Amino acid sequence: MSDAPKPDGGTVGRFRSVVLPHLDAAYGYARWLTRDPVEAQDLAQEAMLRALRYFHSFRGEEARPWLLRIVRNTWIDLRKRNGAEKLPLEVLETRPAEGPDPEQSALAGDRRRQVAAALAALPAESREVLVLREIEDLSYKHIAAVLDLPIGTVMSRIARAREKLAVELKGRLERRDHGLPDL
Amino acid sequence: MDCPTCETMVDAYVDGELTASESAAFERALEGCPDCRRRLEAARAMSGLLRELPAEPAPDLLRARIERELRTIAGASRARLRGAGMRWGAMAASLIVAVSIGWLGASLVGKGGRETDELIAGYIRVAMSEHGVDVASSDRHTVKPWFAGRIDYAPPVYDLTREGFPLVGGRIDLVDGRKVAVLVYRHNQHRIALSLWPRNVPPNRGRSPNRIPAVSLTTPSSSSK
Repeated sequence: MSDAPKPDGGTVGRFRSVVLPHLDAAYGYARWLTRDPVEAQDLAQEAMLRALRYFHSFRGEEARPWLLRIVRNTWIDLRKRNGAEKLPLEVLETRPAEGPDPEQSALAGDRRRQVAAALAALPAESREVLVLREIEDLSYKHIAAVLDLPIGTVMSRIARAREKLAVELKGRLERRDHGLPDL
Repeated sequence: MDCPTCETMVDAYVDGELTASESAAFERALEGCPDCRRRLEAARAMSGLLRELPAEPAPDLLRARIERELRTIAGASRARLRGAGMRWGAMAASLIVAVSIGWLGASLVGKGGRETDELIAGYIRVAMSEHGVDVASSDRHTVKPWFAGRIDYAPPVYDLTREGFPLVGGRIDLVDGRKVAVLVYRHNQHRIALSLWPRNVPPNRGRSPNRIPAVSLTTPSSSSK
């Protein structure tokens, strides 16, 4: 990026109106990728600054998938930098899994917590495609753009991810009903 | 439609990604396929549960951190523009300060040497003469239009009063046979002259524009009248 034009005041102004409104989406995606609120903030900030540097190559496509793709690529780079890719996936994915903490009250709150925990426990590949589809509400086409995958692959990943989520959630609810601690 | 086909369409159907005719075909196939109906219900249930999850907005702290970065970047770019470092990138490289009329060539070490001397000589002559500015105004909206028609480019004229550099005026110098816009700012008791020319047309054609892209000369007011 060394030959990229440095963003000037006008670029920052356009960036504010086009990209910054999607900060919540960037953070939400980062939150589910990292499963850690502090890491998510660092990732979202890094991705935003990267997006500003890349903004000269933004061609007026939809800004949210464009930004989320940068979030994802930044996440991959940060993991590489931290040496995380050297760890087997199982180690990464069995970290204490904790999704965003929904409202504590009532049965709905409890169900949501179970769903969030189940989603957080899924492997990254399944987790992110569900987050993009159900939480960010992206179309297959936009998910394909974020993940840099063919639409057909997106479709089969979503199908597989929903099955995994159902299994995970079922296991959690059964453990809870038998008074066993969460994994 | 055979079952493997309808099976692959379940999730796309849930997600509204099928065309109208595909949807219709899928719905017909579904009537005769209890397995796919179960799959459809399961997929819908998972989708519904995930959509109930409350969105977690970006924390205020994160927003503030990004705001600060954006302001810094926008501010730095304004500073670059003030220094004419962007399109007028030619200006940034050489800043030459002579503390008196008896300025020392040695203080210019590393920044051009002999070529720079020619330019400096022009400044010194100008500084010693009455030829301070051709258009005397602290208003950039007066100074900038003044150059129009007198030189073949439009120099950026910035209001740097708040930064402590009120505009004195502008003039045109002849450097290497080419007319060059000069802006004169005042800073305390000093006058600062900025020569401005587009990067792609260095006034000293034939020499590296990076060697002596621009000169700014400060002289004590007593000797720059």
